[in-house]
Amino acid sequence: MDEVDQSVGATSATPVLQVSGLHRTYGAVRAVDDVSFALAAGGSLGIVGESGSGKTTTARIIVGLEQADTGRVSVNGRERTGRGRGRAHRLARAREVQLVFQDPYLSLDPRTPVGAVLREALRLHFPGADHTSRVAELLDQVGLGERSADALPRQLSGGQRQRVAIARALAVEPAVLVLDEAVAALDVSVQAQILNLLADIREQTGVGYLFITHDLGVVRCVTEQVIVMRQGRIVESGPTARVLADPQHPYTRLLLESVPRPGWDPRAIAAARRALRQA
Amino acid sequence: MNTPDRPPAPPLDIRGLRLRLPRTARPVLDGVDLTVGAGETVALVGESGSGKTLTSRSVLRLLPTGAATEGTVRVAGDDVLAMDPEQLRHLRTGTAAMIFQDPRAAINPLRRIGDFLTESLRLNTATPPAEATRRASTLLEAVGLTDAALRRYPGQLSGGMLQRVMIAAALMGEPALLLADEPTTALDVTTQAEVVSLLGDLRERFGTGLLFVTHDLGLAAAISDRVYVMYAGRIAETGPADALFSRPRHPYTAALLGSTPRLDAPPGRLVAIDGQPPGLQVELAGCPFAPRCGYATDLCRDQAPAARPLPGDPARLVACHHSDRLEGSALDG
Repeated sequence: MDEVDQSVGATSATPVLQVSGLHRTYGAVRAVDDVSFALAAGGSLGIVGESGSGKTTTARIIVGLEQADTGRVSVNGRERTGRGRGRAHRLARAREVQLVFQDPYLSLDPRTPVGAVLREALRLHFPGADHTSRVAELLDQVGLGERSADALPRQLSGGQRQRVAIARALAVEPAVLVLDEAVAALDVSVQAQILNLLADIREQTGVGYLFITHDLGVVRCVTEQVIVMRQGRIVESGPTARVLADPQHPYTRLLLESVPRPGWDPRAIAAARRALRQA
Repeated sequence: MNTPDRPPAPPLDIRGLRLRLPRTARPVLDGVDLTVGAGETVALVGESGSGKTLTSRSVLRLLPTGAATEGTVRVAGDDVLAMDPEQLRHLRTGTAAMIFQDPRAAINPLRRIGDFLTESLRLNTATPPAEATRRASTLLEAVGLTDAALRRYPGQLSGGMLQRVMIAAALMGEPALLLADEPTTALDVTTQAEVVSLLGDLRERFGTGLLFVTHDLGLAAAISDRVYVMYAGRIAETGPADALFSRPRHPYTAALLGSTPRLDAPPGRLVAIDGQPPGLQVELAGCPFAPRCGYATDLCRDQAPAARPLPGDPARLVACHHSDRLEGSALDG
């Protein structure tokens, strides 16, 4: 695609997150193929795509779990590509960008109580301080009572566990929170609570969100900017309202038409999908 | 001949199904009534723990150990809960078939697709192997795959293709009833559309009744003729899909609709429901949704509402003392 808007999100202030020319190949597969975008300070950017689109690899490169072959990622103007030099440098880098995974079952230690999870993150990044009041503040911020500090992950519901994962990510006051399908495993009524909570937190703290999701309804609900990825490349990007109301790329149109709703025509979608694959 | 024609029994007719598990304070299923007519698509919608999966599994009597049941589950007229092992085998290999959420978990990865498809016919019927293979290749074609898939191993097929194989396998025994438990949840949205379109075609072609279990309200609205909404083991509301979604009459249905981030809803905050569904260790007095419901009164906390038809709309049943108060609410479209 040649008509990709390279300045997504960079409308007003300096972007908090700037990604340019990311490439990552696994053997012959171009998992991430020339991905560039910017996230405005305090903004919310969605990356949508299906499995194999490269959205999760992009997120993992930004967080630092994966190295890009070429390309740059910077947060508040500081470069974070390449391997970290020394412990202090790596910790500082981790504080800038935090990640919330899809499954809080897998991302929380089953033997560690909630309060200790938060204290551990705080002790690692801010050693020597007393964190009692900060732990209480974080629990309150994500809508968990102070009593839940003693609870083990298995004593909590899925939604409560995801609140703990969000509290842990917020503990180090990151500039960017990467949410990788963070609400996909939750029931809709719980998902709505978490989406509203995330909106409140962004308003209060000014943290920027990078929202990786396959769900266009979620994108519409929580992002201002969106990029659509397919086979490692950005096929369309722009303000969320505009992209969803007036999609330009046939793949974006296919994704939108695929969302089930009354009067939905799965046969037409199946035909459009085959046509796009052969194109 | 003058024998009076009795209408044929519907593919599925569940009456007053109550299911208790050991060491729980309340029934997991509490008086479920549900029917699926021939060629009808019925969606069963609910969140985790609502009992929707147990309801569909009870149709094949795939129940947890120690489960105690009351009521009847009739498939094509025969009560599954009263069947002997031979009848049950016949049910599971012929009359009713289930498509699960994760095809990879339901197919032996070491056996070829052809073996998997024909196994049930070869073991349970007198069908000659060549005839079974012929039927398998016809059905593979019906689900949009070719004969070549017969010789493939599951690992060589994508998730979407494997789910088509599962659908073909389910149709091998010419079932009167197809049970699909979140069959598209693990698939990408565009693949989901293909699988749903396929299920619709097959239903038309074979006249199979389809019970589609899902947490996705949008999907339920898009594909089904009728919908049942479950909460805490009970049917909260049932009716034709379009009426139920445009004019919900149970506060839980309305709340679910408000919680779903939809493309056609006004942007901004979602109408979230506080709290969470009651656990199995909580004994229920009154309406199970009352603690989370904005309409709840003392009556709701004391007395469980029975499912009643809406005035002037006998096709819709709602288990709510205050369903009239949802009339003309913001959600009414």
